[in-house]
Amino acid sequence: MPAESLPRPPLPRFRLTPGHACLLLGLLAATLAVMHLQASLGLTGGLLALFSVPDASADSLVLHVAWWPRLAMALLAGGGLALAGVLMQQVLRNPLAAPTTLGVTSGANLALMAASLMAPGLLALGREWVALAGGGLAMGLVFLLAWRRGLSPIVVVLAGLVINLYLGALGMVLLLFHQEALKGLLIWGAGSLAQNGWQDAAFLAPRLALAGLLATWLVRPLALLELDEAGARSLGISLKHLRLAGLGLAVFITGCVVSVVGIIGFIGLAAPNIVRLAGARRLGPRLIWSTLLGALLLAVTDLLLQRFSGLLPTMIPTGAFTAALGAPLLLWLIPRLRFGGNAPPREARAVGSRHPAPRRLATKLAAALMALAVIALLAGQGVGGWQWASIGDGDLLQWRLPRLLAAAGSGVMLAIAGTLIQRLTANPMASPEILGISGGSAIALIGAIFLLPAPSNLTLVGAGVLGALVSLAVLVLVNRNSGFQPQRLLLTGVAITALFEAIKSLVLAGGDPRGQQIIAWLSGSTYYVDLTSALTVTGAALVLALAAAPLTRWLDILPLGAPSAAALGLPVVRARLALLALVALLTATATLVVGPLSFVGLLAPHMARLMGFSRARAHLAGAALTGALLMVLADWLGRQLLFPQEIPAGLVASLLGGAYFMWGLGRR
Amino acid sequence: MFHPSHLLARLIGPLALLFAFAAATTATAAPTRLATLDWTLAETLIALDHPPVAAAQVDAYHAWVREPKMPSSVSDLGLRTQPNLELLASIDPDRILISPMFANLAPRLERIAPVDTLTLFSPGRDTWDEMCELTRSVAALIDRPQAATRLIEATEAELADLTSRLDDDATPLLIVQFMDARHVRVFGENGLYQAVLERLGLTNAWTGNTNAWGFSLVPLEALVGIDARLVVVKPYPAGVRASLADSGLWQELVRRQGAPLILEPVWSFGALPSARRFADLLVTAMENANAR
Repeated sequence: MPAESLPRPPLPRFRLTPGHACLLLGLLAATLAVMHLQASLGLTGGLLALFSVPDASADSLVLHVAWWPRLAMALLAGGGLALAGVLMQQVLRNPLAAPTTLGVTSGANLALMAASLMAPGLLALGREWVALAGGGLAMGLVFLLAWRRGLSPIVVVLAGLVINLYLGALGMVLLLFHQEALKGLLIWGAGSLAQNGWQDAAFLAPRLALAGLLATWLVRPLALLELDEAGARSLGISLKHLRLAGLGLAVFITGCVVSVVGIIGFIGLAAPNIVRLAGARRLGPRLIWSTLLGALLLAVTDLLLQRFSGLLPTMIPTGAFTAALGAPLLLWLIPRLRFGGNAPPREARAVGSRHPAPRRLATKLAAALMALAVIALLAGQGVGGWQWASIGDGDLLQWRLPRLLAAAGSGVMLAIAGTLIQRLTANPMASPEILGISGGSAIALIGAIFLLPAPSNLTLVGAGVLGALVSLAVLVLVNRNSGFQPQRLLLTGVAITALFEAIKSLVLAGGDPRGQQIIAWLSGSTYYVDLTSALTVTGAALVLALAAAPLTRWLDILPLGAPSAAALGLPVVRARLALLALVALLTATATLVVGPLSFVGLLAPHMARLMGFSRARAHLAGAALTGALLMVLADWLGRQLLFPQEIPAGLVASLLGGAYFMWGLGRR
Repeated sequence: MFHPSHLLARLIGPLALLFAFAAATTATAAPTRLATLDWTLAETLIALDHPPVAAAQVDAYHAWVREPKMPSSVSDLGLRTQPNLELLASIDPDRILISPMFANLAPRLERIAPVDTLTLFSPGRDTWDEMCELTRSVAALIDRPQAATRLIEATEAELADLTSRLDDDATPLLIVQFMDARHVRVFGENGLYQAVLERLGLTNAWTGNTNAWGFSLVPLEALVGIDARLVVVKPYPAGVRASLADSGLWQELVRRQGAPLILEPVWSFGALPSARRFADLLVTAMENANAR
């Protein structure tokens, strides 16, 4: 870690080893299981029910065809996801990598949605095959994009991220317009372990056993990936094929698990991280302990959930609950455990080459933005088809102008925030969305929509601000002692974001009709903006953009790592805190206008890089212009494509930016 | 050949037409032009014989509410949660009807036309009373209170007629809708189906918790051990029927509780028109099952 020169966090009081953690969880799981059996058929009868239905009572039927298969499924799925997580993190050399990183789940999700709407006959053949095919296709696309660059971790991660966004955005569009037809898939999306027979466990077990064997066989070569690239090559191994094998195996496991139980968050991310933070360094032990810990973690969570499910008005899917429980656990662990052992991710600069004249390019972008703004204001569809409005048409412009301003302003803010956070952490997966600020405000918004009888827009905005502030406070509290070390900072953000994802899928799976409102709010739409707030946003964007300008020297130096930055006389901790505060301010303001899921903050900085803006000052300016351009175009297209229905700008921006990004990755 | 009476006839023709036209426009100018975002309000308006000029997600209404049919004259406003404001402004309705779910849109809608918020399914209130009250409030907005009385009386008469067709079988009913092969919505307290069952003098077997919309999402195993006749409201999601054939739990459930009654889709959050449709489908299905 480059952060060795920084003050260490206080040492933990006792050392939690992976063995201790597994033992503790194992005991807890056994106790809960025995308690359940005692309460229904008695211990012996309950154990017998594993093999057959002992008598005609309802209890014994439920035990044999529902309870035991469910326990088996929890162990299998948890172990599988954790194993896949270790493989992903090892090959991609990024502790933020998870089984979902390469787009498997979003591919499976989109395939299921598309099949439900367009080819329901396919689902009769078996839902798991449709999901598996979708996940496989998504992975294939990722590999295709990254193949020519030897599947280098950074390119794979970026390609996976973009494919995830792209397919996720398409899925959101389908969901927004077909809420009624797709409501069943929302339960799948929240990961329910409920079983009604042994068929799914029988599907999963042999596949996971095979994957486990392959993983043991790959341990030795994969361990070599911890060397640097040249070192590994000098030993005569083909890095490309090794990575293909490792990632392929992880994706296969994830695909199998997800296809039967749906999306179970967090286990694949948390189990490997907990095990590594608890002191398992070498790959072999990490694989074994993570698999065990993952299996037990999911089983305990599910047993607890079943125990208390009778008290709630609606079922809580396990996947969502796991994430909701796991997030605070991770937050608690981050300051307590030593962080290290993994090579830091390489810098994002691997992608894109420097443009000879960034100033000229920026001027072109600005001109394009102006032209687009005029089109967005004046061209549109009405009752009688396409119309070209006159500039004095106040009736029409009162609807269009606020949206144009809000789109441009929030695009600028998110892009600047993204550039800052990607340079601050030197991690290409970093984005304002992942830092947890948007997630926090979204949690508060969901709460307000569901808990208040008829919330006004002002109440919703107030709730959003409150949520963003609380998230920022959590980020600062958890990371204060480590000097805002980038890895920890991102992990904190991931935990908050995971909590948000959990709450979102929980609420959607319940099937409340207000779910559609949540989806619309979350997808990044300029729909709710009026002229006052649009002007405020544009003003804030300008002020904060100017505030970022003097920080460019920090941004050029920080990616070199903390020791070099300190050696060059940079006040590292203070610089990080200042940048973090600016990012939080930018993100919170933008989120309130366009919702938390626009992903402009992730895409715009990368797109600016691809275009050739590489020095910090140029990068900031280029990203800001790209962000504005992307959002304005997305907002206008979103209102015209499916007229009179409107696709939220954030979704269209993800689709546009994603397409450009894929093109850029494939071209160079 | 020219003849004065021809000239007169030529003049009278268009003039008469003009008068007729003027009379017609004054007659149709009186009814309020309403727009609504909510399907339940839309179905009530159509049942009161005063369809809205614009509604949200018209295609999805046809797929999920089905009856009463929405006339083709209704303009589609796009999503219920994000209706197209430019389009709505150009249609220029006299009033806009919403339910509390869309309260956050009210300030922007009010810039186009006055907004009325109408509530249904308030917790702690009798659902049937509330449905009748909703019908009366909607009728009052279009200035046709007698239409509401007619609709309420017709619906209650039909339900009374259906009740008389039922035999004395007192087996409670368990009304479910499949979400996927392992999960169902089960309908209970504070919902449309419950209100109809009460009117018909039937018992609902689900006494567990429900959410604000009168249903609870449960895994299939939660239905085991409830002594009741199963009623499945269609549609089955794609592929579910095939997986139910392989499901040990479902097969055993059907073996223990008998073949379920299968009903055509009904909008489960509707008002009087949906209630009437559900009652009719349910009683017909029960009669058919007994006849077999």
